[in-house]
Amino acid sequence: MLLDPGVIFGQLLGGLSRAMILFLLSSGLSLTFGVMNILNFAHATLWLLGGYITFSIFSYFGEFLGENGWVLVLAIVLGTSIMVGVGYLIERFLIRRMYGRELPEQLLLTFALILIIGDLIKLVWGVEDRSIFLPIEPLEMLDTYVNPYYFVIVATGTAVAAGLWWFLQKTRYGMIVRAAVYSRDMVSALGIRIPLIYAGVFALGIGIAAFAAGVFLPLMPMALGVDIDLIIQCFAVVVIGGFGSILGTFVASVIVGVVYSFSILIWPDGALAVVFLIVIAVLIWRPWGLFGTELRY
Amino acid sequence: MSMKRPHISDHKWEQVLKSMDRREFIVTSAAAGALTMVPRFAQAAVETYRLGLLLPVTGTGANYADGGIKAVMNATAAINAKGGFLGKHPIEVNYRDTHTKPDVAAREARDVISRENVQTIVGTYSSACAMAIQEIIHERKILHLAATSNSSKIVNENFTPYTYQFCPNSKMQSGSVVVAVAEMIKKNGWKTYVTIGQDYEWGRDTQKGFVEALARKSAGTKLKKELWFKLGETEFSSYISAIMASKPDFAYGAIAGKDNRTFIRQAQAMGLFKRVAYPGGLISVTEMQQQRKSLPRGMIGLARCPFFAHLDQPLMQKYIKMHRAKHDAYPTDWACMHYDAIYGLEQAINKTGNIGTEAVKAALKGATMDTCRGKATFRDCNNQLNIPAGYVGSVWDSPDYPFPIFNPDTMIIVKAEEVWTPTCDDVRKLQKKRA
Amino acid sequence: MVLLVVGFPLVPALPGMFWTEVATEILILGLFAMSFNLIYGYMGQISFGHAAFFGLGAYGTAILFRELSGGTGAITMGQFFVALSVGPPVAALGALVVGFFCVRLTGIYFAILTLAFGELLFYVVFSWYTFTGGDDGIQRLLPPPFFRDATAYYYLTLVIVFGAAAVMWRITRSPFGYVLRNMRENQLRTRFLGIDVRRYMLVNFVIAGAFAGMAGALWGPFTRSVGPLLLGWQESGIAVFMTLIGGAGYFAGPAIGSIIYTFLQAYVTGFTVYWPLTIGTVILLIVLFSPGGLLAVFDAKVGFRLGRTPIAPGETPNGEAETGAAVTAETKAGS
Repeated sequence: MLLDPGVIFGQLLGGLSRAMILFLLSSGLSLTFGVMNILNFAHATLWLLGGYITFSIFSYFGEFLGENGWVLVLAIVLGTSIMVGVGYLIERFLIRRMYGRELPEQLLLTFALILIIGDLIKLVWGVEDRSIFLPIEPLEMLDTYVNPYYFVIVATGTAVAAGLWWFLQKTRYGMIVRAAVYSRDMVSALGIRIPLIYAGVFALGIGIAAFAAGVFLPLMPMALGVDIDLIIQCFAVVVIGGFGSILGTFVASVIVGVVYSFSILIWPDGALAVVFLIVIAVLIWRPWGLFGTELRY
Repeated sequence: MSMKRPHISDHKWEQVLKSMDRREFIVTSAAAGALTMVPRFAQAAVETYRLGLLLPVTGTGANYADGGIKAVMNATAAINAKGGFLGKHPIEVNYRDTHTKPDVAAREARDVISRENVQTIVGTYSSACAMAIQEIIHERKILHLAATSNSSKIVNENFTPYTYQFCPNSKMQSGSVVVAVAEMIKKNGWKTYVTIGQDYEWGRDTQKGFVEALARKSAGTKLKKELWFKLGETEFSSYISAIMASKPDFAYGAIAGKDNRTFIRQAQAMGLFKRVAYPGGLISVTEMQQQRKSLPRGMIGLARCPFFAHLDQPLMQKYIKMHRAKHDAYPTDWACMHYDAIYGLEQAINKTGNIGTEAVKAALKGATMDTCRGKATFRDCNNQLNIPAGYVGSVWDSPDYPFPIFNPDTMIIVKAEEVWTPTCDDVRKLQKKRA
Repeated sequence: MVLLVVGFPLVPALPGMFWTEVATEILILGLFAMSFNLIYGYMGQISFGHAAFFGLGAYGTAILFRELSGGTGAITMGQFFVALSVGPPVAALGALVVGFFCVRLTGIYFAILTLAFGELLFYVVFSWYTFTGGDDGIQRLLPPPFFRDATAYYYLTLVIVFGAAAVMWRITRSPFGYVLRNMRENQLRTRFLGIDVRRYMLVNFVIAGAFAGMAGALWGPFTRSVGPLLLGWQESGIAVFMTLIGGAGYFAGPAIGSIIYTFLQAYVTGFTVYWPLTIGTVILLIVLFSPGGLLAVFDAKVGFRLGRTPIAPGETPNGEAETGAAVTAETKAGS
């Protein structure tokens, strides 16, 4: 039964879909830590906020444009833009005060943001779950059914990964960001304004997260408390891949997603435990992660 | 140190409820803060009846608990309009958020008992939370009305004479699904199935109840695989394809809350329901309303207390009217059950003529009362109300409501006695002695 | 400090059981937070998995409790103390295994590895239905009749927590404690002194775990039940919050933090469901404006001597306000 191509294909696609949400969330987390040395506990909570905002925009325009895929694209664009702004403001007024402070205090600040933003969502949107409905027809292939939207998700995730890679490898700003991962002092000595880079990277990370929330809206209701479960899995991904490495984050997302997916088939009770065992093994074996730089460790 | 905290009596509740939905939090808490400083001389004259309400508005249970909170507030407001219990004991509701965490629930239970001197606790949402507070209410001799949390352990293994269960327990619920599923097995010649459940007390208990009841009713049907996922899961695709990989004839889901919505949505988009029948998953009025567009029509679901099944009951009519007037919506299962709990308490108090806890407890014992679901009686050995064990029906677009309901022509309402633990002797065997 | 020692025994004199129960909670969580501060304030590493040891202690006690009482909750005085005493060693054993790996790392890597181990242990407890009760947890942890009374249990807790605090105080003032502080300031230099840094870290980690286990052991019979969330990372966060609110740079800081946190929670949850928003805002303000915790503010502004026991070595009379801020310096010293 396990070697049935349909089964393997189904699990693989499920694993890749999980990998994409993990990647889209973790890439921002990884970049933020790699460049700014800030571990943002509230990253998934901001993702959730982005989801709620995108939901509201979708419902608003859906009223007179009809609730369809194009309106979702519009809502994602607007929602992402708003969250980029929110990300910038958070960096500008809160995170910026924390540079040079101790790591635990930075963690605490973002920890506080989880609580505050979570309750603000409750204040604005109430306690009801929010999700949107797009009629998605299942696709029959390899003797099994698949959700065609997963192809959209996998394509989007891969495109974002490729785009980020291109940005970091090929553009001037990307090179500055990468240089900052290795040595902030050196970058700053070259006369580059570090605060601007920081704000940009942070806003970019939040933007990607908000974008992910929008893309996943048709499959995943936004609900209070989801962020708490996701952030820990994101930490796992970032650690396995190595802080600051986009390639590492991508590979780690795929590992975690696929391992999780097949664990469900073989040992359903232990799926999450397996993920944490990988994290522990990686941290002990090479704490800087599979693709991280030892220089930073 | 002995500062007195503000109490939330019913008129204030309006504000609290609003603030939970909307933005009036700052105003509410500022007003409440100001109240702290004011000594409350006025209340000395009347003897209020203090009620603790423990339901989550944080975390995964919030979506359902909302209906329960509304119903308790509506019911107590209506009773207070007549002067309170017995016309002279206004009800004061002390609400606490359990965050769906057992140790928070236990702390808040202690809090409302020790500080607010509540005589009765209504709640909670999660079964694990309910069991945690049972330890406390039993010791302190406080009544506990369970109206949502329904693990059978609450009335069996973890029984205390202070707990009264207004909700069909999980074994009854899965038992009633089995009644319907056994029919379908016969009709369709099904042989194998898979279960998927939330990995926590209620999910485990519901799944176990289903598997055991089915083994009794249809011994030849084989369980191929059990899948468990962590509460709050967001990505079900791997689970769904694992179900399809097992190629069962049908799948049974013990899933509630937000996870249920996510699961149905993703399973639908992956074509699970085209390949594998999925009878008897929880589809309460909450799901019907919130997923009115996406809920697959024709799907066989299970409800706990759907208003449309009891439109002939005067009490249900009364409550629907009350709920619609206040919230411009139809009451959910959770709202109806909480209304029954408060109204049941009132009937017991009326019967005994005073509000002393032991007297009310004695009046509730074995009592027959009016509920939204018709006349019902508490079972002697475990205080389980014999309201219908389950409503199994097929999702259907009704001309009367802006959301789908179960098709009344095919809906099966299973009687409690058909599916609950057969005899009181069996129940007593399960009940563990308390020190 | 003096105020605390005098004030705590008087709490049950207040009318009603409520404040006694809040004070019990303050003491237990205070012990938990103080044990956390052995790792954070003294050793300079932040652990996000410290609740695992709190939870292991709670479960160690609870499981033995269940076995001794045969599930009914009826337990004799002697059995009760046996059950209580099993919490710390169970937690210490867990800390030994986890610490063995964790002390190889520092800074953010230490934080995340402790978090990962904590989640793993949570998951084990959560999944192991036959032994731990899984998600249900364990109920019927009813102390013997004498200690069912809130005041009696409070005094029991008081004696144990103050005893534990005295031992911890002694440890932090011992040569061992000074080595820890040295490591916090500069691990590399400590190593040059010929000190086996990892061994010292491990010993301290185990000691902290044992005291967290002591707190956990007291928690179960107090709440009458335990559940797996006691091991989760959000519970770890509570120790971090308390320590930060009070001031990590002070021995009594976490205890003060526990008083403020628990008291505020009891007060705020009485009239609003927005407790997370409230505590989140408090933490945000403290992080932004008084990073050394409230004791540091008192110390700097008022010259207040309450609980003033800065833990940095060689402190100067005027340097104390900074002590709190600098308390976790050199998290990356091991590189």
